[in-house]
Amino acid sequence: MPQFYGGRFFGSVTVAGLDTLEYPIHRLAQQVGLVFEDPETQITATSVANEIAFPLENLGIPRAEIQARIPIALAHVGLTGTEGRPPHELSGGQKQRLAIAAALAIQPQLLVLDEPTSQLDPQGAQDIFAILRELNREQGLTLVVASHDAEALAEHANRLLLLDAGACVALETPRRLYGQVPLLERHQVRPPQVAAAFHLLREAGAPVPEIPVTLAAGLAQLHTLRAAQRLAPLPASPPSSPPAGPPLITVERLTHIFDDGLVALRDISLTLHTGEYILIAGENGAGKTTLVKHLLRLLTPTSGSVIAFGQDTRALTVSTLARRIGYVAQNPSHQLFNTTVANEVAFALRYLDYSPAEIAERVAANLAALGLAAHAETHPLALPQGDRARVVIAAILALEPEVIIFDEPTTGQDYQGARAILDLSRALHATGKTIVVITHHLYLMPEYAERMIVLGEGRLLLDAPLREAYHALPTLHTSHLIPPQIVQLSRDLCPEHTLLTPAELVACLTQEPPPCAR
Amino acid sequence: MRPLTVQTVTRASFFTRLDFRSKLWLMAVLTTLAFLWEDPLLSGLLTLSVLAACLIAGVQRAYLRLIFIALLPFAAFMLLLQGFFGEALLTTRTGQTAFTSLLSFPSTWPLLGRLTLTAEGLRYGLVIVCKTLTMTLVVPLGIFTTDVNAMIVSLVKLGIPYPLAFVFSSTLRFFPLLLQEAQSIIEAQQLRGLELSRLPPLKRARVYATIAVPLILGALAKSQMLEIVLQAKAFGSAERTYLHDSELRRADYLLLIGCTGLLIAALVGYFAWGIGRLGGI
Repeated sequence: MPQFYGGRFFGSVTVAGLDTLEYPIHRLAQQVGLVFEDPETQITATSVANEIAFPLENLGIPRAEIQARIPIALAHVGLTGTEGRPPHELSGGQKQRLAIAAALAIQPQLLVLDEPTSQLDPQGAQDIFAILRELNREQGLTLVVASHDAEALAEHANRLLLLDAGACVALETPRRLYGQVPLLERHQVRPPQVAAAFHLLREAGAPVPEIPVTLAAGLAQLHTLRAAQRLAPLPASPPSSPPAGPPLITVERLTHIFDDGLVALRDISLTLHTGEYILIAGENGAGKTTLVKHLLRLLTPTSGSVIAFGQDTRALTVSTLARRIGYVAQNPSHQLFNTTVANEVAFALRYLDYSPAEIAERVAANLAALGLAAHAETHPLALPQGDRARVVIAAILALEPEVIIFDEPTTGQDYQGARAILDLSRALHATGKTIVVITHHLYLMPEYAERMIVLGEGRLLLDAPLREAYHALPTLHTSHLIPPQIVQLSRDLCPEHTLLTPAELVACLTQEPPPCAR
Repeated sequence: MRPLTVQTVTRASFFTRLDFRSKLWLMAVLTTLAFLWEDPLLSGLLTLSVLAACLIAGVQRAYLRLIFIALLPFAAFMLLLQGFFGEALLTTRTGQTAFTSLLSFPSTWPLLGRLTLTAEGLRYGLVIVCKTLTMTLVVPLGIFTTDVNAMIVSLVKLGIPYPLAFVFSSTLRFFPLLLQEAQSIIEAQQLRGLELSRLPPLKRARVYATIAVPLILGALAKSQMLEIVLQAKAFGSAERTYLHDSELRRADYLLLIGCTGLLIAALVGYFAWGIGRLGGI
């Protein structure tokens, strides 16, 4: 869409023989279907059938033809029979499938998808990639997908284009590109976990002829290696469940039913202790955000109770609780409402009876602590996404809360950005703060979280130390979560070896025995 | 957060099945009658009928309550204004000079001295409140019971250019989104320890004003994204077709004829016999 964006344009782009500068976008739209990241913003109609019909109506396709194409497009994405439903009633994954169906109905030669799975739970993401692969193989459709999902790309893509700072670094098959772990690290791209693990194994001296990039290839090589190596026992990792501090927040038999009758939480009971680092996971719509909104009193229980710092939250206000529990929302932009970064951090302090001198001092200290001092006078929304999250964190830290909740902090972030926020959460944890992180990117969390709470359809499915939880495969499967590839390799290696990270796998395969009692 | 839509009435009823063109005519006739009638009885009856229609159509009671609460200060102001100061207007319009006094303040009282509350003024104030309520209530009755797509098709059938009909329906859809956004900004402020209820009114108003900037920025970003999405969906091509047709059925014709009949009867009654005229007071 060169017509749409500003800037200078050199060279030329042709799509199906049409120069993108010469032809209007609605003409190009007949050749190229577009699917965007956010399932919400790209849906314009009030029923599934109308959503698919909209581009066809715009192209002047006769009514009978539109009616014929709707069921075909829906069948491709597994949404047959949903024609009359309002799109907002569909799950995130279904909405994204609807967006693909709407793009398919145009019968384009090329489908371009911009981060189509980043807001979906792992199962939803896997379903999308399965549909894309089928479209590619069965229909011969050309697909261009921008994504951070290394595991899925390794599994499904024919070729990968690695871009860095606007320059093309490589255009290779996944096998060749993901096999070059040092190159990826240089360009701050995350390789599939299986590739990272075998790269480490090779560096540790294990005979690895080729770096596998898919789970199946990894398992095959592991069998060969296992025959040659003897397994060390489970490495002594820090205890998964450190002695818990005193209870901070207790949730007792919490049920929440929304006004429209949707039961979002059912009979949840759990306790958060001082100094814990907790991961909350579950499928889209499992009730994760609804649960933390109860901790903040943004929602009150339909039945049951939430006791925070010894008091029922019903007796507290949102703002009093906010001084003790900080909340970093999924989209930090929604939490920024001041005109400069410094004002953003000062906002809370102005209502806490601090003197102007104290406010200035605290603002400066907080900005410095988060590396934002140079941006004090910048408009918060002028900063990149990752920096915006840091501004929200700085603003929250000004209140000196005891608990900090990060809601999907890694969504919409690249690997470096996600790691930077999680590293910050770990640093805060080290200062004694209690940390709660909501995410379904499980591969990111072993280095950070100690305890995992799994929700599914509003119920508490699991509350266990991280290592145990990551290996509770049936429960993870129920809540549409996919364990990291290392967990799956480790299950195959030896059921007693509940490994979590590539480093643990390497230690297990390269240390001296005693052998695993299999 | 649960999604919001314009069509808040989802239960099927006589009103949801009607074509939007008939509903538009119904809205136009009801609004004309609300303007025309200045008799408290007729105005009151009209308001009650529209309210009853809203309830039958399934407009949420919470929403109706919100309308009443929002209009309450206006109603109180109107009743007091017309009650105390309506005489001059009524004299100009009807020639009436003798008024029924309900209450008057002793002349020794500062500012309020010699003010008189009149029954005629109060009744006229009531008529204005009824007019406002009727005109406010026809909106949920017509708009909330209509699917946005059906609305577009009907408007196009009326001869309105498609892009204009689309902009109209998009605006309707944008409102709930804006409200949602405003709510989330207020929530974000509360999460930073801001206690609105404890602030003095002036300071509270200033905090509300700060919501405008992020709200407008957010709306701009959203509309820019929407433009990209629409372009990608070939919006703006010359020849357009429609998946659904909009047809007037028997119920629509009955409503159109009924509304037209009512309008003619009301106009004839008003101009020929003075039914509903202010002079009747």
